Amino acid sequence: MTRRLLPLASLGLALLLAGCSTWAARMFTRSMSRINEPIAPAPSMITQPLQPSADLAVAWVGHATALIQMYDKLVMTDPLFTGTVGIVVKRYIAPGIDPAILPKLDATLISHTHFDHFSYGSIEQLPRNGILAIPLGALRYTPEFGFRAVYELSPWESIEDSGLTITAVPVQHFSGRYGFDGAWMRDHGFTGYVVQYKDLTVFFAGDTGYHPEYFKEIGRRFTIDLAIIPIGPGGSWEVGSRIHVHPRGALMIFQDVRADYMLPVHHKTLFYGFEQDPAQSIITLRALAAEMGIADRIVDLDVGEQQVIIPSSRPPVTP
Amino acid sequence: MRKQILVVIMIACVSTGALAQTNPENADKFSVWLPLQLLPTLTLYNDTHTSNFGFEWEVTPLLYSFGINRYVSPWYTFIVEPTARFTGSVELSVAGQIYTSKLGSSYFGSYARIMGFIPLSERGEHLTLNLGVGAHSVAGTTRVFKIAGISTLFGMLHLNLKHADNPTAWIGSLEFRVF
Repeated sequence: MTRRLLPLASLGLALLLAGCSTWAARMFTRSMSRINEPIAPAPSMITQPLQPSADLAVAWVGHATALIQMYDKLVMTDPLFTGTVGIVVKRYIAPGIDPAILPKLDATLISHTHFDHFSYGSIEQLPRNGILAIPLGALRYTPEFGFRAVYELSPWESIEDSGLTITAVPVQHFSGRYGFDGAWMRDHGFTGYVVQYKDLTVFFAGDTGYHPEYFKEIGRRFTIDLAIIPIGPGGSWEVGSRIHVHPRGALMIFQDVRADYMLPVHHKTLFYGFEQDPAQSIITLRALAAEMGIADRIVDLDVGEQQVIIPSSRPPVTP
Repeated sequence: MRKQILVVIMIACVSTGALAQTNPENADKFSVWLPLQLLPTLTLYNDTHTSNFGFEWEVTPLLYSFGINRYVSPWYTFIVEPTARFTGSVELSVAGQIYTSKLGSSYFGSYARIMGFIPLSERGEHLTLNLGVGAHSVAGTTRVFKIAGISTLFGMLHLNLKHADNPTAWIGSLEFRVF
């Protein structure tokens, strides 16, 4: 009987391993080789999340985590504060803000269910009195965190909450969390967002490859002040892969959505296992932006840096 | 008890497959669920007389998740996504087992158990504490075991120890579980 069962067990194991991509296997094995190395401190630390002198400000916390200030509102994208992702993938650089200093978060946006964008241990460290926006299909991956409300959004679906309008917009990526669940998360479970508040509009691309129609359509529907766009992993001069843009593809998205400014994210923070230089993505982006004459529209932040995009138009508050 | 357990497992597979045809996503889940259910849990059984190595195949007829968000149903049957279990849950599970003490000498076992999963780290995705009780039928003898253990690796790897008194028996199991 035991002998008869062995082929069945082997078949099951083979099916499981087939669910793991070679990309994931490479990331795993090379990350394991540096699991004991210390994480470098962030070059800067954000100390004042809510800038009194800003109508629109943005800070890069690391990876795809950005802190957006729109007047009195604070929005965070794909929070990542843990030292590792998916247990073994280690970060190069510590996060650029201590989440304990955040006075509030009006909205937390999750672009998809991968470990580096939907980190349970990171969300636990955040204020959760605001709302959580997640893509269609992600609700079954969402523990009860205690957010005031959770919105699961389909592409082009909008919600309004406390003056913020959040619209899920289509991007090109893939979803699932554990490998095997890619079988039923092929065409959903990933999204970008457009956040509107008063006269300001911010676009967050999440994690995406270049799509010739999606981003042009976003640019037609919205007048975007700031676009937060991934530029890695990968620092080549190519457009990128189907699921990830490289710097050139990121700039094509920037042009398609017709935003005023672009914050490059999704680089320099995690050890994916195939970079020779983790800063290569931003180096390539700077060169390409200079070549295209748009370097002054790139909000080139290091981890832990914050920049006022639109200074406050309100009169200063006098004590 | 053994026959009843086997009947439950067979009914589970058939009914889960039938229910899965109601929409394409469920059909995809079933096509992944079924082969993964074939992966056996490795078990070591030890009592005062003998030590045996075994395989077991487990299904979860019912699980209540107290850790999943309030917007989805906390009740799951058979196809239990990992998040529902490791974020905090109580489940009823049944299993069929094959034990062997030497090649060519095998016998069947089965169990029904109630387990609680308590998240310890990263909402349970990195570590949970497992506690439960189960009625195990091994080699024709049914006994009640207390169960304690941990789960890690996104709730997919479970290390459980089961203990029964009079006479003392231990079962150690390394369980690979997806659903």
